[in-house]
Amino acid sequence: MAKEWPKPSPKLLEKTHHLMHDGFHQRAFPDTAYDLPEALGDARWTDELIASAWYMAETGECPDHLNYKTGRSGGGFDKLAFKELPTDQQLAADAEVDITLELNRRGDDRHKRTIDIPWYGGGMSYGSVSVNVMMSRALNAKKWNTLMSTGEGGYPPQLYECSDHVITQVATGYFGVEEKSIQAAPIIEFKYAQGAKPGLGGHLLATKAGEEVAKMRGSVPFVSLFSPFPFHSTYSVEDHMKHLDWIKTVNPTAMMSVKVSTPHDVDMVAVGSYYAGAHIVHLDGGFGGTGAAPEIAKKNIAMPIELAIPKVHKFMQTEGIRDNVTIIASGGVRTADDIAKAIALGADGCVLGTSDLVAMGCTRCSNCEGGPSGRGCPWGLTTTDTELQEWVQQAWGADRLDKYYTALASRLREILRELGLSNIGELRGRTDLLRYIAGGE
Amino acid sequence: MLATDLNRTSDDMMDGSVTIQLPVAEQARLNRERADTYHRYHIDAAETENRQKFPRRFNVKVGKIGLAKLLFTEFFKYFGHWDVVFSRPCTYGVFSGPVGGFSPRPDLCVGCLRCEVQHPEFVKVTHNPDLAAIGDSYLTSKHISTIDEEARKGTVPVRGQGYRGRFGGPGFDQMFTDMSEIVRPSRDGIHGRELIGTSVDLGSKPMSLKFDSNGGLLDAPKMMSIQVPFIYAPPPDSVSTGIIPEILAEAAGTVDTLVFLPENTVTNQGLASPNVVPMIAPGQIGNIESHGNGTRMVEMTSWNLDAWNQVKEHPLLVSVQLPLEGDWMSTMMEMVDNDVSIIHLISDHHGEADDGRFIMDLYQEAHFSLIEKGCRDEVTLIGTGGIAGADHLPKSIITGMDAVGLDHPLLIAMQARLLGDTKTRGAAGVKLPSKFDQEWAVQRILNLSCSWRDQLLEILGAMGVREVRRLRGEIGRAMWCGHLEAEAFGDIEGFPGGEH
Repeated sequence: MAKEWPKPSPKLLEKTHHLMHDGFHQRAFPDTAYDLPEALGDARWTDELIASAWYMAETGECPDHLNYKTGRSGGGFDKLAFKELPTDQQLAADAEVDITLELNRRGDDRHKRTIDIPWYGGGMSYGSVSVNVMMSRALNAKKWNTLMSTGEGGYPPQLYECSDHVITQVATGYFGVEEKSIQAAPIIEFKYAQGAKPGLGGHLLATKAGEEVAKMRGSVPFVSLFSPFPFHSTYSVEDHMKHLDWIKTVNPTAMMSVKVSTPHDVDMVAVGSYYAGAHIVHLDGGFGGTGAAPEIAKKNIAMPIELAIPKVHKFMQTEGIRDNVTIIASGGVRTADDIAKAIALGADGCVLGTSDLVAMGCTRCSNCEGGPSGRGCPWGLTTTDTELQEWVQQAWGADRLDKYYTALASRLREILRELGLSNIGELRGRTDLLRYIAGGE
Repeated sequence: MLATDLNRTSDDMMDGSVTIQLPVAEQARLNRERADTYHRYHIDAAETENRQKFPRRFNVKVGKIGLAKLLFTEFFKYFGHWDVVFSRPCTYGVFSGPVGGFSPRPDLCVGCLRCEVQHPEFVKVTHNPDLAAIGDSYLTSKHISTIDEEARKGTVPVRGQGYRGRFGGPGFDQMFTDMSEIVRPSRDGIHGRELIGTSVDLGSKPMSLKFDSNGGLLDAPKMMSIQVPFIYAPPPDSVSTGIIPEILAEAAGTVDTLVFLPENTVTNQGLASPNVVPMIAPGQIGNIESHGNGTRMVEMTSWNLDAWNQVKEHPLLVSVQLPLEGDWMSTMMEMVDNDVSIIHLISDHHGEADDGRFIMDLYQEAHFSLIEKGCRDEVTLIGTGGIAGADHLPKSIITGMDAVGLDHPLLIAMQARLLGDTKTRGAAGVKLPSKFDQEWAVQRILNLSCSWRDQLLEILGAMGVREVRRLRGEIGRAMWCGHLEAEAFGDIEGFPGGEH
């Protein structure tokens, strides 16, 4: 059995918080004596992207001294740029720009919901992250009138204070699924697959399935939990429809979101999901985040989100149903520029996951699943370790996310003004406003 | 079954042409016996520690004066709060040695950077240049690190966070494999309830069976099965005799695959077995008669019609090597016309033909040429060269190979260092660890084989493919980055070859 660490003393908390928070500041601001850590970052999340997220989370502004727009992956979002209008044709800096997003486009009698920003928080289960991290995200979602998803790990009681902003996820293991949490949610998300491990199901390693996590999931402490793929009751669109009908009997007003990965036939899957009754088709691309996934799956299975969005958007247009459904993109959406590009490619909005964690201090060291210590994230994010989870306090986390979202929203509005658009909806599918950066520009 | 059925024969119960003349009761008994003795195939992996130190990922430098100042300050600031005084910014033990940060233990560092972020004034974590220096432009340090982990643990590498690398890339990186959103019970196979088959057949699959008037099978197909779709290719010339062939032979026998070894090695070291394939030059093909002890297959090291005609009807399976050089396609067709049933395509260690083309294209050409000729199932294609990671295995099969040869990764699994020319087939020098023994090395290869097979199962499970034989040539389940980009970005200004 894994060791339960003692809760940190107030003095230790004080010291650690001071050092961590000061450290994020020291590394993100240009006026300090320190360069970015040499070992920080990778091709997708460069050192500058990570540090700029820290800067935004502290200031609510985009940094001038760091590239906060693109990574160095050599493809996808990193090869796309916007065709800004000449300065005199752009909207004035103080012009109103509407970035709200209506989620229910079916015109049915279900819950109507407009969120204030065209993105919300992706599923991260209790167990993969701590309650503190979940609450930080939920409190921020409430403040921004947007949403966040529980992931598949149950609904910690603290979340109920933000329940109007919490999506309850139902996934293949049905971990922690309760009538109460379904009834509390404005949206129920059926997770068919996850971009980082498409077709492979979920896996919470034993070391992270502690007493509280196991209790929430109805399992035995410190035993690995598999959320097997696929839904064993679903072999067709009709079966899927039964799922949605089942939810309807429990919560007749909830909107339905269907989270799928990006296979070859993602367009057909999306259309099938719509006809089964989905209000939101959530596409999760192959480069998405995860608490634990086989390395072979991350790069090789399913397509990146940038390539899936236009495919689905165009097919739904052809089918004449595009305006009746909301397409949400995730899985490698890192920045405000990525959000805008995803929308220009055909999505209505996006889901952020890793970005939230980076804003709260993640360095993407890839030890979320436990790492050699077995305790999980040393930053206190992807862990339920009694000591480590205290490194992230709810108020601090929510404040970081609030400021981070402020910077993202500001940048998103700036992009729209530069394109002469006053509404985020006008950007949808406007690939004519994008240019491809050939070569090494 | 009803009692009245007991005297019926099994063919009475079928409407097909198969005539297996067994009383149903006897058939049922045999089926039960078979079920009782059935054991699901698996490879016994066991954690097997490195025998020589593998380059660590990170270096950790701590400024002694800065650390001393911090400790001095904190000692007085937090006097009495010893948990605070002795707390360290690392959960992995880098600073938990007898003298803490004064003598850090960088081997334990995972690069979370918490120490450097918290104490930028005196801690610096850097990538270890010694790690970056291993490998070559194809079999990179990342591949080697991964193979080392797989050979050590025998498991599927699992980590947190998402993908960290390039968007697409050259070679195998240009392909994404498909997944199936809702279908299939096959995923259960990975968790143990249902089988996903990884065995493949080598030899010519008959298009129909023929029976004599008594129901006996005529012209029994000349073919064999191995349990995994990979074989062990011959080691470089510098280690083609001695302990390495013995290790490969033992591992091949345990895994139930094949190892291809020079004929002299097989003979001189007494390695003949059902899992060893002696490689014989066409001029010595008459030696085929000398290989006993259960040998099932030999390989002719190059195409020669006269030599082939000598062994064409031999009861042993005979594969023929075909280097991807010159007009290899014409040679392959000539081989097919002369009833060669196993063709072993050989590229260099970077997966390139002599004209620089990559194997994924060439494998497809070979595969589709045989389909065009209407004889794909009568020929087995094995591809050797350019396999550097577990994902290369299913991708080679998708592009048309029945089985794939593993070469340098086997040596990496044994912690060998490759020296000199690592691109030309067979040319690399090999430096083995100083502490090296057969038992340890065999287990490392078993671990690698287990890990790669399990990763193959992950890919198959995600695709909903229940046996690897069905994956062969499933180009429709491959997604090519270039094609997808053209489809997604073709109407965007500046996209190469796009509408603009």
